[in-house]
Amino acid sequence: MSRRARILAGTAGALALAALPLVVKNTFFLHVCILVFMWTVLGAAWNVLGGFAGQVSFGHAALFAIGSYATIILFLKAGIAPWWGIPLGGVAAAGLSVPIGLLCFRLRGPYFSLATLAVAELARLVALNWEWLTNGPIGFLITTLPPLQILGYSVDWESKLPFYALAAFLMMAALLSTAWLRQSRLGAFLAAIREDEDAAEAVGIDTVRSKVVTLALSGFLAGLGGGFYAFYFRYVDPDAVLSIGLSMEMVFIAMVGGLGTVGGPLIGAVFLTTVGEAVRERFQVGHLVFYGLFMMLVIRFLPEGIWGRVLRLLARVQARVQRHGAA
Amino acid sequence: METFVQSLVSGVLMGALYAMIGIGLTVIFGVMRIINLAHGEMVMVGMFGAFWSQTLWGLDPFLSILLWAPVMFVGGMLLYRFLLRKIIPGGELNTLLYTAGLSLLVANLALLAWTGDYRTITLAYTQAPMRPLGIAVPGALAIGFGVAVVVTVALWLFLGRTDMGRAIRATSQNPEAAVLMGVDVERVAVVAFGLGTALAGAAGVLLAPSLYLYPTVGELLIVKSFVIVVLGGLGSVPGAIAGGLLLGVAESLGAVYVSSTYKDGIGYVIFLLVLLYRPSGLFGVGKR
Amino acid sequence: MALLEVEGLTRFFGGLRAVGNLSVEVNEGEILGLIGPNGAGKTTVFNLVTGFVRPSSGAIRLEGRSVVGLKPHAVARRGIARTFQIVKPFPRLSVRENVTLAAFLRHRARREAEAAAMEVVERLGIGHRAETLASQLTLIDQKRLEMARALATGPRILLLDEPMGGLNPSEVGTASGIVEQIRESGVTVILVEHVMKAIMRISDRVVVMHHGEKIADGPPAQVVQDPAVIAAYFGKRAA
Repeated sequence: MSRRARILAGTAGALALAALPLVVKNTFFLHVCILVFMWTVLGAAWNVLGGFAGQVSFGHAALFAIGSYATIILFLKAGIAPWWGIPLGGVAAAGLSVPIGLLCFRLRGPYFSLATLAVAELARLVALNWEWLTNGPIGFLITTLPPLQILGYSVDWESKLPFYALAAFLMMAALLSTAWLRQSRLGAFLAAIREDEDAAEAVGIDTVRSKVVTLALSGFLAGLGGGFYAFYFRYVDPDAVLSIGLSMEMVFIAMVGGLGTVGGPLIGAVFLTTVGEAVRERFQVGHLVFYGLFMMLVIRFLPEGIWGRVLRLLARVQARVQRHGAA
Repeated sequence: METFVQSLVSGVLMGALYAMIGIGLTVIFGVMRIINLAHGEMVMVGMFGAFWSQTLWGLDPFLSILLWAPVMFVGGMLLYRFLLRKIIPGGELNTLLYTAGLSLLVANLALLAWTGDYRTITLAYTQAPMRPLGIAVPGALAIGFGVAVVVTVALWLFLGRTDMGRAIRATSQNPEAAVLMGVDVERVAVVAFGLGTALAGAAGVLLAPSLYLYPTVGELLIVKSFVIVVLGGLGSVPGAIAGGLLLGVAESLGAVYVSSTYKDGIGYVIFLLVLLYRPSGLFGVGKR
Repeated sequence: MALLEVEGLTRFFGGLRAVGNLSVEVNEGEILGLIGPNGAGKTTVFNLVTGFVRPSSGAIRLEGRSVVGLKPHAVARRGIARTFQIVKPFPRLSVRENVTLAAFLRHRARREAEAAAMEVVERLGIGHRAETLASQLTLIDQKRLEMARALATGPRILLLDEPMGGLNPSEVGTASGIVEQIRESGVTVILVEHVMKAIMRISDRVVVMHHGEKIADGPPAQVVQDPAVIAAYFGKRAA
């Protein structure tokens, strides 16, 4: 897509987002939108590391959980309002991702992936057992949110609107940072690392630093998503925020949407939320069967993801148009 | 002292079964260089196979290995031939994610079919633990250990004495040279995958009378399998045996002397430590 | 002071001594040929010098400063670049993108890096393939790309690992010409090669390795008559 087309699409999208809740008042629909936005942030977080840097993590729930716990603990124990807690949660997740990265990046490929899995599972065990920090299996519950005034209006926390606005904002931030990454020098380095890590080192690319910085960005986004989760759902416990299922959902969104694309996570999130929720309704336990099946189907038949395929088709159409124009 | 010996013994018994799981994984990796994230689910399938064949047909679980091992062998071959083979050319990342998807699929199909309730197998003849030399040895685990030893010896003979076994070892050491020597590498891959799956399933059958059975146990087992395989060196069968025993003993001693809640965490910590300090395994067999 | 000094360099892999007590000096502006039978340790020396492998013992100094213990990217930053025996391009990226990535080492801004990269690309004769994906190049062009990429990092010294492998005689001639051009442009070269004609023709000096040790060091004409060298190569035809 050309730069102009992208800016146009982005602006149109942003306007549509802003207009939507003014037109559609149905609370369930808004709730679904909020979920889509949140999952987009999480999918984008995973995509930054998995799609752009080519490092497959099966433990991203750990970063999400750091954000969730940080936000909710800061509010319940230190009285810090969630709208500050969420970015702080992002920072906490980014910060903790650095030692995790330095540890796990010593390994490559599948070894790295398994190490992330081990880290996340260890985190879950710690969260379950370190009661003085995390309240163990009981978790934390927000009963009342603090009052907030914006431009003279008192925010109504019972309405979906403030959460919709925040979620949409976080989603735009995530998508914009992914877009920035793609055209940045770091993004170019990541492409090289993905192609051949040794060759990248040989031409002077500090592969460890590139990966750690990327992980920090990925962690920040995941932490933001986690913080929002705590704020919107008001309940955090180890089973909710540290499950392997959650890590897999993040992988799924990025994969199905399109690894290494900017818009992919949004498409993946829509897919996950709509079809996923339907399956969850129908099946309750074992609903992840849908994720497993679709991951396999996508890798087999559509490895570039839905959005990746769309972009490729668009590029082909564009090339054909140009050729006919020249001829 | 008695506690120490007790937990050492349990650790070794359990470790042998872990080792079987690890051997299955290491054979697959050695031949095809793929990490099968669904390996834990293969064990789970074996476990439930034993459970259902006992519940529905009254088949003794230890005898049912004669049924389930061949079934899983064939199943593994079909899985490779019809699903995995097309994915492998797409690269390591894709294969990894594909087997992750497969693992999710199998575990959740099991959840759908059998619910998440914990199941157990009780056997009349192992209710009271045996007490050789005054050490309480859980009967089911001891029998499982015995069968595991038999299976491992049989495998050893297979790899050492038969043509296919040698072909597997050759391909594992150097696939290009194996091709040049006339080995049908594709066929070896199919057999190896079947073998690895059968070993996982067999281990599941043998473990079934000793553990709680639930469909998502694979999540736990896959990390343990990798601890074992990495400890012993990827692709090495003797390494997997040693790794399995080591993990079994470490967990057992850890549960008694460190903390029983973090018992499963021991595997994760060992995994991370080994990967950090000795990625080629304790025996330096080497990653390729 | 020599540009690159290697002193007592040793590397063990388990019980195998791949490189043993190797001492070599490389002077600025030289083309140094590094030859020896297969398994002599030549590529290991490259891996040691460029930081892909740590020495078991010994010193490696560039312009008097040690480079031991530095990671490969840091070694590249110091000014030692290398190519690989089996070419390692970034397959799904274009020639331009491949070389620009290397140019980022010395040029922060993308535009500058691209300009510097394209200059090297043109100089090595693959300018007409700038937008082609690396995986779609012919072998000789991939070798040119490999060299262009290494050169774009602005090195003082370039280590070429069998650049002529797989090339036909006329391509070997072209490649030899390129190596000489590289030296003309001010980059010192260490060249590992099996194609004897090329090495003998363009090297100022030749070092011969056998079983990880240096067995000869001198001008090509002299080295080729050294009985130890002939013994090591017994049976190998001089191309």
